[in-house]
Amino acid sequence: MNETYRTLRWSTWLGWQIESNWADIRLFVLYLIVKPICGSMMLVCMFYAAKYATAGRVPAEFLPYIFVSNACYGLVGMVMFGMSNVVISDRESYRMLKYVFISPAQFQAYFVGRGLARALEGLLGATITITTGLLLPDIRAAVNADGFDFGWLVVFLLLGAVMLWACGMILASAVLNMSRSGMFLSEGIAGVVYFLSGVVFPISVLPTGLQYVGLSLPTTYWLEGMRRAITGRAPASSPLAQSPLAKWDTGELALMLLATTIVLVVLSQLFYRWSLRKAWRNGKIEEATGM
Amino acid sequence: MRPALELFWKAMMARTYPRVAWMFRHRTWLIQETLLPMLSVIALANVYRWMHAPVQYIGIVILGAAMTAFWLNVLWSLGAHLYWERDSGNLELYILCPAPMMGILAGMALGGLTMTIVRAAAIVTTGVLLFDVPLEPTSWWLLGLIFLLTMVSLYGLGMMFASVFLLFGREAWHTVNLLQEPIYLMTGMNFPLVALEKMTHWAIPAAALLIPLTAGMDAMRQVLFRSEGFLNLWYEVPLLGVMSVGFILLAKRFLDVLERKAKEEGKLTVKWQ
Repeated sequence: MNETYRTLRWSTWLGWQIESNWADIRLFVLYLIVKPICGSMMLVCMFYAAKYATAGRVPAEFLPYIFVSNACYGLVGMVMFGMSNVVISDRESYRMLKYVFISPAQFQAYFVGRGLARALEGLLGATITITTGLLLPDIRAAVNADGFDFGWLVVFLLLGAVMLWACGMILASAVLNMSRSGMFLSEGIAGVVYFLSGVVFPISVLPTGLQYVGLSLPTTYWLEGMRRAITGRAPASSPLAQSPLAKWDTGELALMLLATTIVLVVLSQLFYRWSLRKAWRNGKIEEATGM
Repeated sequence: MRPALELFWKAMMARTYPRVAWMFRHRTWLIQETLLPMLSVIALANVYRWMHAPVQYIGIVILGAAMTAFWLNVLWSLGAHLYWERDSGNLELYILCPAPMMGILAGMALGGLTMTIVRAAAIVTTGVLLFDVPLEPTSWWLLGLIFLLTMVSLYGLGMMFASVFLLFGREAWHTVNLLQEPIYLMTGMNFPLVALEKMTHWAIPAAALLIPLTAGMDAMRQVLFRSEGFLNLWYEVPLLGVMSVGFILLAKRFLDVLERKAKEEGKLTVKWQ
């Protein structure tokens, strides 16, 4: 336990240093702010462009939906893909993965620590983005004290952290046995999650078959839970209320997220052990392909 | 003069070769470069469909995704590439050999362009077929000319980035990351540039015109979808022409100055910094 904690602490520190010490702290903070805000502002521009083109017929509640979802999705990207990127950067670029493996450090805790550093970055980015969004009246109308539920936000953040750890471990484990294609696996999974989890549109827009696939992803429940905790439920008259998850109450969402997360954790641990053993036997832990 | 041109040509082709050969040797790229980017394109196109925006807006997303592929290629495979080449030990070999660096950069650009054209074509074809976007350009020739000028100026800008990145360490990675979302926003990658003008101030899209993507996409949208542009087409085409020549000349100048500076500061062989 002590060893795990120590590995976690130092790998988080190392991850934070790698992420932040390339620049002056003011420049780094600017970097943290500009990137997520611009990503979300692009969706804001798309919303207003559609609104101009349809003479204002786009419902106002669509904007907070896409804005909050996108800010939360940033956290998914940061943790899941940050953890898998550790394998690539430490093995291919810094050539240190083999030394971490033969050291007394806990290998999995090392990945988790590096993921935590990214999570901190992602959480900061999401908070800054949502706070900046409050400058827009349409978002201010949705993100306010009436709709905000701090208790559920904490529940979904905690469950989400476990879910992201499990997803990150699955990706990192897969990348352990991949070389050149490793980086693209993250991109592919990002695309699938973005498309099927209702990040920028409700899953009711998808064809029925794909809606079921979306409903099998824990990220779908997590994003819906986060949106509800921050903005409250969509009005009954809104097209958003036609989403399959609109009828669920928040407790049911949390339970479903818990159940899918437990399945994911078990799967991730089994897959991690199998992948690590395979990578070790095939010499993949020290393999550098010049990628 | 002739041996110099011959050497330039050989250096360019030699650097193009690995990028083109890779396309045939490592087939998984077809999935990576075509299927995966489509997922986010479909997601963004669905946003407009969900909002009942005109179908041309979906066309804007598809065109934006295709042009994003070129922008990412310029940033990662050209701009930041000398940084990776330094890490892998190739940069010192480039400097040691008699081949001109501009030839090597041109080869990187040509190889990257070939690969990215496949990705862009897959995005456009799938997007147009999937969302039934009407393509009725006012002139295919004009569209081709605008695309060509956009590519030359874009890759010229990439060559300029490559010179600047010679001086960079790990910040190269973050700088490239920083040149994504803000640029997508400023260039109106997924929405008409006029919408940005209406939402903010005309000065913002006007400043963004200095990025070849902005002028190129705005002009291509006017030709392809007959939509309202931020600037008249007949101003944007010459602007692209000026940028094409200007960025390549600037890239040459930057490369001379910054290669010298990198040598003086001992940054040509520094790794993992």
